[in-house]
Amino acid sequence: MRIFIVGAGLIGERIVSALHADHDLTVVDLDPARLKPLAQHYDVATARANAASGRDLLHAGIADAELVITCTSRDEANLVAGTFARSAAPAATTIVRTQSADYVDIWREGRIDVDFVVSSELETARGVTTAIGMPAARHTDMFAEGRVQVVELDVPATANVVRRTLRAAQLPSESRVAGIIRGGRAVLVRGDAEIEPGDRLVVLGSPRAAREWCQLVAPRRAEVHDVAVWGAQELGAAIAHALVEQGLNVKVIEPDAERAGRLAERLPRARVFHTDGLDPAFLQREGIARIQAAIFAMRDDARNLFAAAVAQLHGVGYTIALAHSPVSAQAYERHGIDAVVDPLLVTAEEIVRFAHDPRTHQMAMLEGDRFMVLDLTTRDDSELLHVPIREMPARGALIGAIVRNGEAIFPHGDDVLRGGDRVIVFTEAARAAEVERAL
Amino acid sequence: MTVSPPFTRRPRLGIDVSGALNLVGSLVKYLGPSALVPAIFAVAYEEPVWPFLAAGALVSGFGITLERLTHGAEEVGVREGYLVISITWLIVAAYGALPYVLAGDPQLGRPVDALFEGMSGFTTTGASVATDVSALPESIRIWRQLTIWLGGIGVVTIAFAVLPRLRIGGRQLLESELAGPGVEGGLSGRIRETVRRFGTLYVALTVVAFLALAAPAWLGAERTMNGFQALAHSLSTMGTGGFSTEPQSIGAFAGLTQWTVIAIMAVAASNFMLLYRALVQRRPREAARDEELRLYVVILVLASAAVILMLWNRAPQEGEEAVRAAAFEVTSIVSTTGYFTVDYGQWPTVALMTLALLFFVGGCAGSTAGSIKITRHLLVAKLLGRQVVATAHPELLRPVRINGAVVDLQTLLAVISFVLIYLAVFVLGTAVLALESSIRGPDTAPLDLIYASASTLANAGVGLGVAGTTGSFAPFGDTSTLAMTGLMWLGRLEIVPVVVLLRRSYWRV
Repeated sequence: MRIFIVGAGLIGERIVSALHADHDLTVVDLDPARLKPLAQHYDVATARANAASGRDLLHAGIADAELVITCTSRDEANLVAGTFARSAAPAATTIVRTQSADYVDIWREGRIDVDFVVSSELETARGVTTAIGMPAARHTDMFAEGRVQVVELDVPATANVVRRTLRAAQLPSESRVAGIIRGGRAVLVRGDAEIEPGDRLVVLGSPRAAREWCQLVAPRRAEVHDVAVWGAQELGAAIAHALVEQGLNVKVIEPDAERAGRLAERLPRARVFHTDGLDPAFLQREGIARIQAAIFAMRDDARNLFAAAVAQLHGVGYTIALAHSPVSAQAYERHGIDAVVDPLLVTAEEIVRFAHDPRTHQMAMLEGDRFMVLDLTTRDDSELLHVPIREMPARGALIGAIVRNGEAIFPHGDDVLRGGDRVIVFTEAARAAEVERAL
Repeated sequence: MTVSPPFTRRPRLGIDVSGALNLVGSLVKYLGPSALVPAIFAVAYEEPVWPFLAAGALVSGFGITLERLTHGAEEVGVREGYLVISITWLIVAAYGALPYVLAGDPQLGRPVDALFEGMSGFTTTGASVATDVSALPESIRIWRQLTIWLGGIGVVTIAFAVLPRLRIGGRQLLESELAGPGVEGGLSGRIRETVRRFGTLYVALTVVAFLALAAPAWLGAERTMNGFQALAHSLSTMGTGGFSTEPQSIGAFAGLTQWTVIAIMAVAASNFMLLYRALVQRRPREAARDEELRLYVVILVLASAAVILMLWNRAPQEGEEAVRAAAFEVTSIVSTTGYFTVDYGQWPTVALMTLALLFFVGGCAGSTAGSIKITRHLLVAKLLGRQVVATAHPELLRPVRINGAVVDLQTLLAVISFVLIYLAVFVLGTAVLALESSIRGPDTAPLDLIYASASTLANAGVGLGVAGTTGSFAPFGDTSTLAMTGLMWLGRLEIVPVVVLLRRSYWRV
């Protein structure tokens, strides 16, 4: 695939290192100094270009791209480049990286015309909730007027379903696993497929089953009720927001009065404290020893490490810290911080996943994609009617759900199709036409 | 462009007095035609017409003259706003008093008494110096009711268009919500728009109130009420004033009517913004979720229940009558209307003390009710709650919110200052009454003085003792009468605009 990457910063570099082997990459950046090491390390084309200049991007060859990723450090530049790619290369998938989670909301409302918006704030918050072990549904989509939900779940190492085959795991009844993505590649879904930690599952199910799945994938860590977040800057605020959404009691500790006040106004369900969180009397008074997890989300990694050490001194059992550079992550691990979330790394990982993700293709409906979710109605003369699903020639296509008489059925091997059924099919894109013909 | 008025000789004056007076004139000139209503009644009942016509002509003439003599400013500033509403309410009260003086009424004719009665009407207080209302001519009676109703429109207008701009009322939030399209900047522009919107609602509600009062009479279910009385009482109930055409107030009517009046009083003292949303914009949920409205209902119910318990077997009323009388008087005082149905003077002291406390509650912000108002109590309570929490958690930031929206520190300070100033004015007012009563007599019981002061400041209007159900505010000396007139004026304008005028810095550049 021809991939065009705008921005050669830390995220851009990580994306390049993940994708350069299999794909044909072009990287552009305003700063030649950042492009040079990339060109030396990897087999990629580089060009100097301003992300906000359509002329520059055209010159660098954006029109030939099949996938455009904009990941400079400036949200606005990324959005401009992303929407420009939309018109310059209409067939390409566009992924825009932003810092702010607000753009994701605006994109969901359909007001930004790009295929995906990946927000560092959201990804970091998700990284933290996953590290704490909260149910971590990533994306959900509704089909058949909300009767069928497509959920993507990241499986943590501690989840109940890990190292079990799909057949043996006690999975929610009104659902089917439609896809397993492991290391950016799809694994064939069969009864004897085993779920591994770090897998991303694509599940089709009823809304109730989708909720059951979230609980199922939730790990067996001790129940988390109370958490504290150090730092109320953008990332800290986003993390606090996500944790509050999960129904946790969240304390936020922020030394800057104005910033603390702003968050207290914006997030009434969190308890915001104006303090540096290092005062033993404060930690004692607010019962910091009793919280189950502490998250250190300040911009200064040295402060994060020190604050975590103080918190551990006061009896906090589980610490998570944001690392803004690889060396911070190593220092954290060396000094007993339990989990590290690198905001840029999780963002880059998410973008790389999108580059492989079947749902990318389903939503974008692009030619040449590998997987699609089809929403079809069976013909009365289909050869597959009244054939048990077990006996169908199931190569690369999987019937995730049947909508019959207004009710969603999540079929098992013995179920059969009838004429006029509406079926939600998860399939390799190459077989989409074949599937449509057969049904 | 705003052309500055020719005040070059006194450059140190920081206030556009000319522009302010011009706005006052342009407002009061519209008052004149309102005198036609009692004039029609005067013609119908063959009573003197000229006092009303003369009063109307005088006030409109005064307004037009004032407008001519001064230079209008395109936009009157916030500072001038204080002056405008303070002066306007004084002129309006004088206008209310004119017919009493001109007609030479034996009960209301003395200028001090007439001004009290006029102020009482236009501030929607309802305290009266007329001991025998039934002796008043019909036209004077309807004029008293009408002044309350007109005052009500004025109150709703200043509550929504003026006070928020003057940073009074604890509901600055309302201002931004209100600024709909087509509302041009400037005080006068906003006043026009607000009068159009809330005035229409107010008129519609008055019509509904009239029908609710008159319908049982037309259907024969209520034999004590006639059309004239229904009109008179719908006017003064919507304005939450307490003037009545009957010496026994609402006690003159049957139980059914009393319950109806309770309902009208309760509605009239609730936030007109929410009424507008619920009735005109069909968004009743907002009203149901409003913290102030909920607390208002809770207070009405709990206070009524408490008074019912206090009256049980200890008051002349029994059974349903006691329940009705307690609910009525509680609603009457909380809504700052000031009607009565029974002689509550005979109630046990604990019930009277409870009622005295209710003078300081008041209705909702954005209504015709007076007093401190529920929003302010809510904010003070929340602030106190926050302070208590702060002793245990000094670092915790917990912004005070009302209906989910954060209330800024400036507003909280304004609310607290208001409550303190309000209490101080109450104490001062009571002191003046007590002094005159001890020097010139008649010596008055402490609770009676507290009632007189609290009731006029809250624009409620009920009194105790000499000013109780069978008496009036007439026995008070002239100083006390003037003091109470001032209390009504202060209470209606939410004190601050008047107090601001007393500061020298207000007048300086």
